[in-house]
Amino acid sequence: MREIKIAVVGNPNTGKSTLINALAKARLQVGNWPGVTVEKKEATLKVGDYTLAFVDLPGAYSLSPFSLEEKIARDYLFTERPDVILCVVDSTNLERNLYFVIQLMELEIPLVLALNLFDEAQKLGYQIDIPLLERLLGVKAIPTIATRGEGIEELKSAIVEVYLQNKIPNRLSYGEDLEEAIDRVRLQLLTLNPQLEASLLYKGLLIKLLEGDQELISRLNLKFNPEEIKKYLQHIEKVHGEDIESYLTDLRYGLATGVVRQVLHKPEIRKITFTERVDRVLLNRYLGIPIFLLMMWLLFKVAFDVANPYVDFVDETINGPIMKWANVGLEFLEAPEWLNSLLLHGILAGVGIVFSFLPVIGVIMLLITFLESSGYMARAAFLMDRLMRSFGVQGKSFIPMLLGFGCNVPSVYATRVLEQERERKLTIFLVPFMSCGARLPVYVVFVSAFFVEASGTILFSLYVLGIGTAILLGIFLHKLIYRGKSSPFIMELPPYRLPTFRDLRVHTWMKLRHFVIKAGTWILAINVVIWVLLNLPWKPNNPEESYLGKTGALLAPIFKPLGFGDWASTASLLAGSLAKEVVVSTMAQIYASEEERAQEETLNLIEDLKGIVFNFGAKTKEAVYNLISTMGIATLQVEEPEEAKGLIVKLQEHFTPLSALSFMIFVLLYWPCFVYGIAVRAELGSFKLYLQAILIHTLVAWLVSLLFYQVGRILGF
Amino acid sequence: MKLSDLKKGERGKIVALNLKGALKKRFQEMGILPGEEVLVERVAPLGDPVEIYIKGYHLSLRMEEAEGIEVEVLK
Ligand SMILES: Nc1nc2c(ncn2[C@@H]2O[C@H](COP(=O)(O)OP(=O)(O)OP(=O)(O)O)[C@@H](O)[C@H]2O)c(=O)[nH]1
Ligand SMILES: [Mg+2]
Repeated sequence: MREIKIAVVGNPNTGKSTLINALAKARLQVGNWPGVTVEKKEATLKVGDYTLAFVDLPGAYSLSPFSLEEKIARDYLFTERPDVILCVVDSTNLERNLYFVIQLMELEIPLVLALNLFDEAQKLGYQIDIPLLERLLGVKAIPTIATRGEGIEELKSAIVEVYLQNKIPNRLSYGEDLEEAIDRVRLQLLTLNPQLEASLLYKGLLIKLLEGDQELISRLNLKFNPEEIKKYLQHIEKVHGEDIESYLTDLRYGLATGVVRQVLHKPEIRKITFTERVDRVLLNRYLGIPIFLLMMWLLFKVAFDVANPYVDFVDETINGPIMKWANVGLEFLEAPEWLNSLLLHGILAGVGIVFSFLPVIGVIMLLITFLESSGYMARAAFLMDRLMRSFGVQGKSFIPMLLGFGCNVPSVYATRVLEQERERKLTIFLVPFMSCGARLPVYVVFVSAFFVEASGTILFSLYVLGIGTAILLGIFLHKLIYRGKSSPFIMELPPYRLPTFRDLRVHTWMKLRHFVIKAGTWILAINVVIWVLLNLPWKPNNPEESYLGKTGALLAPIFKPLGFGDWASTASLLAGSLAKEVVVSTMAQIYASEEERAQEETLNLIEDLKGIVFNFGAKTKEAVYNLISTMGIATLQVEEPEEAKGLIVKLQEHFTPLSALSFMIFVLLYWPCFVYGIAVRAELGSFKLYLQAILIHTLVAWLVSLLFYQVGRILGF
Repeated sequence: MKLSDLKKGERGKIVALNLKGALKKRFQEMGILPGEEVLVERVAPLGDPVEIYIKGYHLSLRMEEAEGIEVEVLK
């Protein structure tokens, strides 16, 4: 069995990752904006006797990188020398894509073009003479529609075919002077590096030497004579009156335009597209920003209204039947009392509550996935660029921030699309102010306890407060530390696209999975630790005398001025610094241990199962009602006020609406979670920025909550 | 005349790129080349950046960079 190493490259957003997903049944991240893939990812597939090993690379406009992700693509092509290059081409924009293809041809590696987005090209009325294109370039070209899996089989055989034939693309002529200079560089390298195979001195590499791409050259370990190369260069620049880079770009574009003129037939009159019509509204001078805000509000409102009944359902099921039967089981096994307490009060109460919020996190993830695939992300960057510039970053920084509403961790990686190190650091530093899914549980329990009427508005305000704080702190840090000008904002705005059902399903689940795994592993572990701290010294008379209680009480005065200086909320905040879900799970444990569990009623498994099913039906009805009334179709009041449940009652005892808000604000802003810290280290090489973030964010959180609470009190709330 | 002087809905033909270094190269590589036609689609709500249509695709860039792109107005 032979392995064929295939580099998948192309301009950004042409469907590379979608194509690999279709080819190799992979689950690579996709989205409708340039810069989704930011690191190389692999997926393999068996075809006959061959293993096709695809490497998905970040999109690039050229082999002269402008940002970190583009560098990854270039480095891979030059240093790894794949067996075959699969270039995914946007068929609606052949000319600019062929510019890149022509650069790829310089690498002298068998090349297959996937003419992707072929459906969109057809809709625009484009006709492409594919056989002629293949002949002119010396490559295989296959029309594909990655989202529908069309052209996949042909693509597989084309890859194997060019590999077996070792079909090197045509060597296009770059004009006498340049070709001569290239030959001279080749000769020089052969003399200075006698061990080198001639086939490794391909045109692309020789051009890199002429261009003087220092960063790449230094990595290739070649001996060469820079003085002499400079002489060839000066000659060319003198003859053509242009610097070598402009000359090369002109030349390659000239070739690309020439090919396109022969192979592409476009209709005479350009029709206004759907995208252009939509953008007239969504990017309208006056409506653009209000619509953006309205969409965000709707997003949170829908998430809360639709998911909340299911949150209750999971919660009621865990705390009702599951708790009851677990208890029965443990008694039957004659488990010791401490084990019973650990399993029921520690793990089941603590982890259970985190699981119960999966519906709402899931809905948010679904909506974010929808936004990602729609094409709106690039528009958001366009709308916000001016604002972002006020703190020295550019519109593209806004995309990682929006992604942060799902989870802050992928946002850290997504900053690779930014060109400057300074911009990346500042964006990474501000990302934790974007309220992630892990913070939702806190908001949801508090909103349910105090603000059911205004749920959407409260949630929305918290998210906006996060953004606002990020902007203000950004401006401040920009003036103080991260000084400098933002890099130019150059971004392609892709057409709007309807996400496929598969993409929605797969990518929502990929995001949600992170939370499920986290809850089942180390949130569970943290809960065990909390249980231990809550029960030591062994069997305290009341939880306040436990180690956790004492620590909480010791630090509680810090939070007095913010309105919630009791030991329980302080202890929850402490525990929550590891991961914010832990804030509610700690509260659940503390309050569960305060509460004497009522003697369980009848034991009837069938009845309980029936109850669960029935309850699910009722909650679904409620969710549908909520959705309908959110959409403004009807204002339906849903049924009788529910009987408040354990944790919510406890919260109502310990907090006022004002202190509850203050607490939510604190949770929103303080101490970025540990997984974020790990991502920061992975990207920036050290924990330094994480430690700074811990300090500054917590301080900011304290100040904002203080301000809010004290002003609220003066105003008489 | 500069690209930044064009109003929403106006067309121009690129005459020259008065930009430097990596930025110039990036624009060239994205097809912003002398001889190309551009259409200014819109200006963002906060006054910057602008969205243009060139070579069959939509691109956004800032006024500052648009100032470095010399055009002649097309009717
Ligand atoms: N209509 C249509 N849409 C497609 C096709 N291929 C991909 N898409 C969509 O195009 C968008 C971009 O797809 P990706 O696979 O993320 O593109 P990519 O090339 O990996 O992008 P980067 O990683 O950002 O460079 C997604 O919204 C896809 O659903 C296609 O053949 N037809
Ligand atoms: Mg990708």
